[in-house]
Order: sequence, then C-alpha cells, then structure tokens
Amino acid sequence: MNQVPFRKRAWPLWVGAIALAAANVGMFAFMRAIGVFPQMSMWGAQVYNLLGVKVDAPFTIYPLTPLLLDVHSMINFGIVLGVAAAALLSEEFKLRKEHWTGYVAALAGGVLMGFGTVIMPPCNVGGFYSATMALSLSGPLTVLGLLPGAYLGGLLMKWQAERAVAVLDFNSMPKGEPVRARSSSAQPLIGAAVSLLLLAAAGFYASCGLTKHAGLLLFGAAFGVIFQRSRLCFTSAFREILVSGNGTVMKWVLVSTALGTVGFALLKASGYQPMHFVLPVGMHTVAGAFVFGIGMSLAGGCGIGVLWRSAEGYTRAWVALLAGMMTAGSWVLIYGKHVGEGWLYGKPVSLANYGGYIGGTAIVFLFLAAFYGFILFVEARKRERA
Amino acid sequence: MRELNAIRVDDHHYQVDMRGWVCPYPKYAVEGLVRKLDRGRLDLLVDCPSATEDVPKVVKAMGGSVTEINQIGGGEWQIVIKK
Repeated sequence: MNQVPFRKRAWPLWVGAIALAAANVGMFAFMRAIGVFPQMSMWGAQVYNLLGVKVDAPFTIYPLTPLLLDVHSMINFGIVLGVAAAALLSEEFKLRKEHWTGYVAALAGGVLMGFGTVIMPPCNVGGFYSATMALSLSGPLTVLGLLPGAYLGGLLMKWQAERAVAVLDFNSMPKGEPVRARSSSAQPLIGAAVSLLLLAAAGFYASCGLTKHAGLLLFGAAFGVIFQRSRLCFTSAFREILVSGNGTVMKWVLVSTALGTVGFALLKASGYQPMHFVLPVGMHTVAGAFVFGIGMSLAGGCGIGVLWRSAEGYTRAWVALLAGMMTAGSWVLIYGKHVGEGWLYGKPVSLANYGGYIGGTAIVFLFLAAFYGFILFVEARKRERA
Repeated sequence: MRELNAIRVDDHHYQVDMRGWVCPYPKYAVEGLVRKLDRGRLDLLVDCPSATEDVPKVVKAMGGSVTEINQIGGGEWQIVIKK
C-alpha cells in the first residue's frame, strides 16, 4: 500500500464517535444540540413565500427568518463549510454527476425525508442521537422506524447493484485503455481559502455582536470536519445492521450516544434547559422514522448526510436536499397546523420523569445496551450463516 | 437499467468503473464482482471516499486481496483487487 499523508487519512471511527459526543455536549452547553432538518424546512417555507405562496414554517421554534440571520441555520452553513474545507484539503471533493435513476431515487428519498422529519419529528441525528442524549422518550423509539426503513431502502440499493453485476461477463468485455492518474490538483489551496472564509464569516458575525451565530457556525464546521474525516454516517449505521449484518458504525454511534447522555444529563440536572430536545412522542414517532429511514437510504444520507455530501460535490445530494426542504416546508399547507400541534402528535415525555436524571440516564443506558446486544446477535447470525 | 462500465485491460486484468455510483453501491457490487472473477486483477474505480474503507473489507471476506488503493484524481480512486 502507498503511504497516505495525514491530511488524507480517514479518522478512526472511535475518534469520530468521541469527538461527535464532545461537540454535541459542547454545543448544547453553548446553546443547543445538533439537528439540521427543521432549519431546512424553514428554508423550504421561505422559498414558497418568495414564490408567492404564503405558508408558515412547520416548526414554531424555527420561525421564518432571513437565512443569513437565522441562528439555527448557522449550524447547517457551518457543516457545509467545514465539510467543504475538509474534503478539499484531503482532495476528496468532486462534482459528482449521477445517472438519471440516481436523481429519481434522490427526489423520492428527499420527499420521504421531508415528510418523515415533520411527522417523526425531527431528523435522524436530531430525533435519535440528540433526543436520546436529551433523555427524550422519543429518541429510543425512533429506532423502531429508522431501522426497518433504512433496511428497506438499503435492500433496494443492493438489488440495483446486484442486477448491474449480474449482466456483466468478464469473458466478453471489450478491450480498452485503463484510466490513468491525473496530476496534482489545487484542491488543498481552495480548501485553505474555504477555511479562511469560514473564520472570516464567524469573525464578521462576532463583530456585529451576533456571538451565538458565530459560535454555531464554528460548531457546525467542527461537526462537518468530524463527519467528513471519520465517515461516521448515521444512514450507513442504521442501514448496514440488517443489509450486511455489520453493525460496526452503529456500535460506535451507541458509544457516542452514551458519552453524550452523561454530559446532557449533568447539564440538565443543574437546571439548564431541562426540556431541550424532549420531543413529542407517539405512533407518529415510529411512523415518521420509518418513512425517514427509507428516504435517507434512497437519498444517500440523512439531513446531515445530504448537507455533507452536497458539500463534497454530490449532485444527487443537492436534489435530495431541495426535495426534502420543499416537502417539509409545505407541511403547514398540507396538515393545517405546525409540527407538535393537533391530532397527529403526542406530548413530549422526558425520561427524567422516571427516577430523575439518574433514573432517566439509566433507562437510556439500558436501551443502548439492548440495541448493542441486538447488533451483536445479528452479527453472530451472519457469521454462523457464513 | 443502470449498467456498469467495464473493460478488459489485458489477459486476466479488468477495470470496472463505478465512478458516479454513490456509496454503498461499490460495496454491494464488489461482492458479486469478486465472485464472478475467476482469477486475475480487477481495478475498481470509485469516487466515494467510504468505498476505499468498505471495499477492501468485503474483498478480504470473499477471499481476495486489495493490493493497492491509488488516488487517480480529486475524489477518485483506483482499488486494485487480486484473486
């Protein structure tokens, strides 16, 4: 194997898992936990209003706001800039075009994620990862929908790949010239420029007195770098458990969740934002997660995943992102009420109601241990079959 | 139906171009490719970074080996598989 320079070397999953938990606890202590789709649904509602269709943003705590002044959207912009910088510095950026079937899958995936995020709510990372850390009963329940949903979407992708391989015949392939390596690129220089742009933008917000905006922009960028370098993909984590019988990524996500839960519980026990990311819970949690799970597999990433891939140059992710934000942004037109209101949604339930923060944390750890055990069982079954 | 772009470079040396196929397609496809490859060398071209981690694991599990991973351009890699 060739020696890979450090800037191109992927981070081990365990580094990504620990860094992700630290970043999420840090950002919660600063202002709020990670989650990106509600902001994007507000972007979608903004587009409808610009087109003359009056519609409110689906999440009341994410009201219609000019994008560059919306503090929550800073996380999304930070992720995009952080991923772009990391991808360029490691020469992994590429404007990746897709086969038309890929764009159709992205469109379908984006629409399903758009509905999933307002029904669940919110997205995979916010609804499962942050919500579980925040001791929301809804967090663990999302697994009942995300796992089978991601499995179905993954099966479809596997079937497509296997069909393409099935018609291939090594004995009748045409002779051709192999692709040669191209000379070095200017990507690291552009990556350095994007990094400077990010710091300049954060500095500008801070100089205007918008320190929360500057902080979330930098936290978002840190998340972007962590995701891009460690490849800690939540869609892959859910999808591969049942499609490939491999739960390696999810096991590290669970470790990360456990670490973050301790941090969140300590902060909340001190009286800091006790209901933060404690979300409505009911059948809609599982149904929305199931729809979201299928969508994220088809789209090639969850909410953060499509932001991340968009910044790496995946045009498929651009389609998914647009479809997702326009679908979720139309929710008030479709449902007639905001997310969390009306007959569809249950009430938010904190696990701290059951034995305080120690009891709530213990329940989350039991859930994480049970999920870990389930993954070990699936992996063992796969080894037996092999 | 979407097809794979594949060529024969030399005797027992093939190239399958999966650039434009997002992850996890390369990982799912390589299992069948290694199974179909009687013996020789297969250069798999990919443009999703995760494939450089995932594909070698699948190849190893299938009894083949990945002898080289070469970056051939921005966001593009050649994974050399031998069986």
